Amino acid sequence: MIFEGTCWKFGHNIPTDLITPTNVTLRGIDEMARHVLETANPDFPKNVRPGDILVAGRNFGCSSGRAIAAKALKATGISAIVAELFSRTFYRNGHEIGLPLLEVAGVHDLVETGDRVRVDIVGGAIENLTSGKSLRGAPPSEFLLEMVQAGGLIPLLKTGSRFFQGNP
Amino acid sequence: MNMVEKILAKAANKKQVAPGDVIVANVDLMVMHDLSSNLVMKVIETEMENASIQDPSRIAFVFDHNFSPASQLAAETLAAVRKFAARHGIRHVFDGGTGSVHHCIIESGLWAPGNVIIGCDSHTPIYGALGVFATGVGNNSMAALGFAHSQAWFRVPETMQVVFHGETGPGVGPRDVAQHMVSRIGEDGAVYRAVEYAGPYMEALSIEDRLLFPLMSIDIGAKCGFINPDDKTAAFARSFSPGRAFDLPRNDPGTKYTEVLEIDVSLLEPQIACPPTVGNVKPVGEIARVPVNVAEIGGSTGGRLCDLRQIAAVFRNRQVHPGVRLQIVPASRGIYRAALAEGLIETLFAAGANIFPPSAGSNQAFNMGALAQDEVMISNQARNFPGRNGHPKARHYLGSALTVAASALHGRITDPRTLS
Repeated sequence: MIFEGTCWKFGHNIPTDLITPTNVTLRGIDEMARHVLETANPDFPKNVRPGDILVAGRNFGCSSGRAIAAKALKATGISAIVAELFSRTFYRNGHEIGLPLLEVAGVHDLVETGDRVRVDIVGGAIENLTSGKSLRGAPPSEFLLEMVQAGGLIPLLKTGSRFFQGNP
Repeated sequence: MNMVEKILAKAANKKQVAPGDVIVANVDLMVMHDLSSNLVMKVIETEMENASIQDPSRIAFVFDHNFSPASQLAAETLAAVRKFAARHGIRHVFDGGTGSVHHCIIESGLWAPGNVIIGCDSHTPIYGALGVFATGVGNNSMAALGFAHSQAWFRVPETMQVVFHGETGPGVGPRDVAQHMVSRIGEDGAVYRAVEYAGPYMEALSIEDRLLFPLMSIDIGAKCGFINPDDKTAAFARSFSPGRAFDLPRNDPGTKYTEVLEIDVSLLEPQIACPPTVGNVKPVGEIARVPVNVAEIGGSTGGRLCDLRQIAAVFRNRQVHPGVRLQIVPASRGIYRAALAEGLIETLFAAGANIFPPSAGSNQAFNMGALAQDEVMISNQARNFPGRNGHPKARHYLGSALTVAASALHGRITDPRTLS
């Protein structure tokens, strides 16, 4: 799982309230994607392109555990999100819907919006191709990697996993 | 093993579990509000070919955000969820006006100590005050493992302990202690962990007040929070779930923690969570005198009977400040009825407050509580993130019921210790 794309950078403690605002939560995913993160950066939903990579600070996706936040971001076509730290609910939701996530301490200072970046999820690394600097982080656990590589929890349940064996 | 590990081991049919293990556990209860029941329904219908539900009796829906739909879209969403529930035999549907999701469930008696409870709501850890392992999961988890198999996958969390000592001074209470704890630990200070709340201060609290701590575990990033159950927990469980047999899972002696934090509550001032986040906590003295437009008692952290008693005591023979709209939202019908019987509602009505049906109140501003640009709300709700209550430049402060009362009385954020 190696991705190369243009970076969009966001700050620390971005709540799901800013990712999918309340006034769109009853609407369809495509409508949510048209408003995703617009309060934090109005250019993002307008100009994000498939394959772009989102980089954020600490505690990305805190507040409500709404899985639609991860789904709306995935619907924009971004290939991965790299953050210093994800909120637990966002980290779980992202993997369950097949959105690649990587935690890298210090990544917030490594990039700026518009930089070209290269992310290796399994290897736990991000490289800023514009500046030439890189950092290593913590790849997801074996179980979560298996899930995200399968495309999420629902596809993983169809193919099966050794983690589900011997369980009730 | 500690309480959480014991519950998870039993639910996964294992003798032992340890932090880092990935397990699949049987789930006793799945809790959703109107927003998340709609989203899980959509996963079942669009991503799972209308899969059948393994045990609909373990599922409960509470319509607390849209308690009386204010738009055709909201009305149609609720109608679709009601039809889905009827089609699948989900009988525990608590419709608009029944209460704030978790308070409604606590009152329903659908739980017992030792249970595993999951919910598509980040405040689901509240049941950790009741000897329950409880955490929030996403819509896909809920649909694919929860609805289809009555199960959930978990990574067994590491556990940290917060030990509370001392007694709070006059005008300072558990909400102030909980907000202080959030600022001490930080909003991401306990990410993925279980957090045990302990110590003489915690043991002395009522169950109603203990609920605040596991509830606010999400505000320090935790997976769950818990308090070792005791006689109070057992009595509380028997009063709401009289028909359910249970045991009280407690930590084994010698429980190990990844971190232990000691907090002395005796010198604390009233604490206010300031915008833009729940972790931006300051002593009330630093922000006193900010003018207030809306004050509210309600939501998953507010609207308890003890909150209504506190604010009614302040407004006996007093009037709400003319510049403030005071909104009272009981957290459940049982609480509403008790507040009526005690005369609290009459007192608050006479003071000029508006009384709303048991619900989530202004949380996310679906039926009420939207703010215009630059308006200010103070409440004992759970969250104050920008955009959650109307305009992103509106400001929402969080504090205790007493601080909300003092602020509604004076029209500006006020230290409740100044109340005579």
